Amino acid sequence: MTQTATLDLGNGESDLIGRIKTTFARRTEGRAVVLLIIVSIWALIWESTVFTAYEVTLGRLALIGLTAVGLTAVILMGELDLSIASILAVSGVVMASFDNVFLGIAVSLTIGLVIGAVNAFFVVVVGINSFIATLGMLFFLRGMAFVISDEEPVVMANKDFALDFGKPLIGEFTPRVLIFVLAFIAMHVFLTRVRVGREFYAVGGNREAARDAGIPVRRRVFTGFMISGFVAAAAGIIVTLQLTAADPTAGGNALLTSFAAAIVGGILLNGGRGSVLGTLLGAASLAILQVGMTFNGVESDVQNIIIGLVLFFAVITDPNSIRAVLGSARTFFRGRSAPDPAD
Amino acid sequence: MRNPRTTTRHRSRAAIGLLAAGALIFAACGSDDDDAADEAPAEEAPAEDDAPAETDAPADDEAAAGDSFEVFALLPQGNDQPYGTTYLPPFEAKAAELGLNLNIVNSGYDGEQQASDCEVAVAAQPDLIILWPAVGDQVRPCLEAANDAGIPVTVTNSDLIPEDQELSEAYSGPDTYGQGVSSAEMFCEFAGGDDVGILMVNGAPGNSTAIDREAGFEDTINEQCPNVEILQRETGNWNKDDSQLAASEMITAVGAENIGGVYAADDTMVAGVIDALKARDIDPAELIITSIGNTFLGNPLVLSGEVDGTVFQSSSWDGENAAVTAHEVLTGDTSERIVKFMPSVKVTEENADDPSVAPEW
Repeated sequence: MTQTATLDLGNGESDLIGRIKTTFARRTEGRAVVLLIIVSIWALIWESTVFTAYEVTLGRLALIGLTAVGLTAVILMGELDLSIASILAVSGVVMASFDNVFLGIAVSLTIGLVIGAVNAFFVVVVGINSFIATLGMLFFLRGMAFVISDEEPVVMANKDFALDFGKPLIGEFTPRVLIFVLAFIAMHVFLTRVRVGREFYAVGGNREAARDAGIPVRRRVFTGFMISGFVAAAAGIIVTLQLTAADPTAGGNALLTSFAAAIVGGILLNGGRGSVLGTLLGAASLAILQVGMTFNGVESDVQNIIIGLVLFFAVITDPNSIRAVLGSARTFFRGRSAPDPAD
Repeated sequence: MRNPRTTTRHRSRAAIGLLAAGALIFAACGSDDDDAADEAPAEEAPAEDDAPAETDAPADDEAAAGDSFEVFALLPQGNDQPYGTTYLPPFEAKAAELGLNLNIVNSGYDGEQQASDCEVAVAAQPDLIILWPAVGDQVRPCLEAANDAGIPVTVTNSDLIPEDQELSEAYSGPDTYGQGVSSAEMFCEFAGGDDVGILMVNGAPGNSTAIDREAGFEDTINEQCPNVEILQRETGNWNKDDSQLAASEMITAVGAENIGGVYAADDTMVAGVIDALKARDIDPAELIITSIGNTFLGNPLVLSGEVDGTVFQSSSWDGENAAVTAHEVLTGDTSERIVKFMPSVKVTEENADDPSVAPEW
C-alpha cells in the first residue's frame, strides 16, 4: 500500500509538472516577457525617466501598439496586412477633410472597414496571396491619400478640438492611451472569450481542418481583415487629432513597428499561435527601448540597429525555427554518419 | 567641457553592450530549454563592466554645468541624407564650442514619430529644443507642450507656418520660398520673352520646403514671365531615381517637342532629369533648366552648361547657425523672434567655380 501511495504521489507530482509544462508550452509570450524584463531592468538602471515620465512611455506604447493590436487578428489567421500604413494615411486625410469632426470620424472608420473587406475579398474570393493583395492596396491607398490631400498636409478645420484631444483626460492619460487600452481589452476578450475570435486560431492553425470542423473560414478571414482595417483607420484618426493635421505620407513607421511588436510578442507569422497579450508585451518592450534610448542620447541609427537585433533574435529564437534547424542538423549528420549502402 | 558627440558615442556603445548581453539571454529563453535560463547571469556580467562609462556622464556634466546647456535637437534627417550628413558635423562642432550638450533625434520625416520624440524631449526638461519640422503643419502640439513646460524652441532649416511662429524664439535657415523665387528669376531671365513650356519636378509631397519652393517658383513666373507655362508637374521625392522616372513619364506625356525647360526643386532631382533627357536623346544644354542647391551633383552640371542656374544652399551655414541661434536664445534677450535667413546666392556658369559658392553636399 505504501508503495502504491508513493507511486500515486509520484504520478500526482508528474501530472502537476506536466500540466505546468503544457501550460507554459502553450503560451507564446515567453520571449516577450523576457525581453520586457531585460529592457525594464536596463531602463531602471540607466534611464529611470522612462518610468517617472510614464505618460510619455505610454504614449509611445499606444503609438506602436494600436495598429499592432489590429494586425494581430490577421496574423493569427496566417495572413498579412501591409495596407495598414496607407489606411492610416487615408483615414486621417479623409477625416481632416470634413469640417464636422464626428462625421469625419464616422466616414473614416467606415472606409477602414470597407478597405479591410476589399482586402479579404482579394485574399479569399479571388485567391491572391495576402502579401501581394495588401501590397497592392498599400500603393493604391497611398496614391489616394496624395490625390485627396492634393499632396499637402490637411489641417483640421476644428484645430482647438484636435489640440484638446492631445491633452490628458484622466490623470496623465491622454485619450490616445485610453483608446489603446480599450482596444487591447476588447481584442483580448474577443480572441479568448468569443467563439468567433477563438476560431481565428483554428483558421490559422489548419485551414482545411477548420473548414472540415464547420468553421466558416471565409467569413473569419473577412472579419480579421475588417478588424485590422478598422483599427488602422482609428489609428489614423487619432494621429491626425493628436497632430492637428493629416499627413498623406504617414504610417510608414507604424507598419514596421506593428509587425515588430507582433513578432517580438511571439505571434507565429504562419498563424494559429500567439496572443494579443504577447503583442502588448512586444509593443511595451519596443516602446521602453525606444524611449529609453532617446532619453539616453543614443543615436537614431544605433537605435535602429538595436531594434533590428531584437527583431532578429525574436525570429531566430522561435521554438519552431529552432526545432526546424535542429531537425535539419540531425538529418544532415545522420546522413553523413550512415554506412554507405554499397559497402 | 565634455564633447557631446563623444558622449553620444559612449552612450551608444554602452547601450549596445548591455542590450547585446540581454539579447543573448533572450536567445537562450527562446530555445525552450531549462538549462538556457541558467546561463543568463553569466552573460550579463560584461555589460555591467560597460556601465561606468555611462554613469560617469552626470559627473562630467555637472562639472561643466556652469557653461553648458542641455539641448534636444529634433531633426527629420541625419546621416541618412546627403544634406544631413554635411549639416551635422558643423552643427555638432559649433554646439560643442558653445557648450551645448546635444541629444539629436532623427524622425526620418515621419511627423508622428517626431511628435512622439518631442514628448520625450519635453519630459527630459532640456534647456532648449531645436526643431526642424518633419511636417510643418503637425508641430503645433509639440510647440505648445514645450511652451507649457517653459522650454524655449528654436527652429532650423524649415520655418514654421505663420500662426505657429509665435511659439518659437528663433528661426535660422534658408528662405525656402525665396529660393523658389530666385530659381524662377533666373528662369525668367534665360527665357527672355519667348514662350516656353516647362516640366516641374517637386520635392516630397507634404514637405514644407517642397511646398514653399514650388509656391515661390510658380508665383514668380506668373508675375514676372507669364510666357513660361508649366505643362506638367510631378514629385521627385528629393531623390534622383524617382525624379528620373517622373521626368521620363512627363516627357512621354507632354511630348519632347513641346518642352522648352525644366525646373527641379533641388540638384539631386535635376541630375535625374538630365539623365531622363539624355535617355531620350534630348540635349539638356538646349533647354532652360534651373534648380536649387548647388550641390556636388548640381555644380558640375552648371559648369558643363547642362543646368543653367541653381541657388546655393549651404548645409554648413545651416548647421552652424542652428547652434549659434540656440546659444543666442539661451544667453540673450529673446523678447523678439530672431530670424536669420541664409543668403540665396544665384549660381550660373559665370560664378559656379567661385570658391565662395563651392558645393558642400
